[in-house]
Amino acid sequence: MSAAPKNDDLDRAACQPHLEALARNKEVLGALISTVDGFEIAAEVRATTSVKKLAAMTSSLLALAEATSQEGEVGNCIDVVIEASEGMVLVMDVPNDSRKLLLTVLCNKAATLGSVLWAARNTRTAIGSDMNR
Amino acid sequence: MTAKDYKLIFTGTMGAGKTTAIASISEIPPVRTDVATSESQLASKTTTTAAFDYGEVSLPQGDILRLYGTPGQTRFSFMWNILSEGALGVIVLVDNSRPDPVQDMRDYVDAFRDVVGRSRAVIGIGRMDSHPDPDIDVYYDAIGQLGLDAPIMSVDVRRRDDVLVMLDVLFNQIEAAEAEAEMDTVGIA
Repeated sequence: MSAAPKNDDLDRAACQPHLEALARNKEVLGALISTVDGFEIAAEVRATTSVKKLAAMTSSLLALAEATSQEGEVGNCIDVVIEASEGMVLVMDVPNDSRKLLLTVLCNKAATLGSVLWAARNTRTAIGSDMNR
Repeated sequence: MTAKDYKLIFTGTMGAGKTTAIASISEIPPVRTDVATSESQLASKTTTTAAFDYGEVSLPQGDILRLYGTPGQTRFSFMWNILSEGALGVIVLVDNSRPDPVQDMRDYVDAFRDVVGRSRAVIGIGRMDSHPDPDIDVYYDAIGQLGLDAPIMSVDVRRRDDVLVMLDVLFNQIEAAEAEAEMDTVGIA
């Protein structure tokens, strides 16, 4: 028997409240859940951010980070952290049983890496748990 | 004489054979950034390149060809710009079994117009054995209408020799273009 078809709308419904909760953090500018091949599932970002483009770039970034980790013989990639002049970007996968999804978190300059990583990891765990139900 | 590095690009639609072409000739295990395709995409392939493929071929005099394969899908077109930086030549792979392969060629030639326009391109048409139409002449007409010129050949990217022929033609073009540029510089033209 083949697996049930994945439903983007159901996944979006599972993800969106968690993204909204994460974005209420004053250090977080926005957050995105996308498929590993670069399609948007759910987003809570500023109107000026191109979600489609960000989803595709996130896919490339994590694919390259995973290839680099393997080439460097340091195991599997867990998170990608970009420190920029005006903030940070975090990219990580969302553990769940159905399909590989990515969580991207955009943070402002005031963000401290430890606190946003902690918040982002909690969010991805919560989303993964909801998707597994 | 100092050995040189040549950065070459393989581009074309998803499924045109970029990853296969690089894997068939690379002397190192190719770097791949394949990811699983989403069901919603109704794609015929189960994986797709998200960042780039990478392989290397060394030439007898010590020069190295560094081969980069682009993602095929247009939503990854930002990678095309990144990868084409510093590229000396491009191989455009076309899948003749697609609905409008000539337009596919136009799209990718246009995306890499800067490199193609400097006479540093080869067009490889795949699956011509099972899908003979459109034939090579149609492609020559189409690229001529774009005001460009490039060798066009039938290719089976699974065959190492086919891919090496394309590389050989491209490399000869690059050498000719560089020699011409050098003559221009010293005023011999």
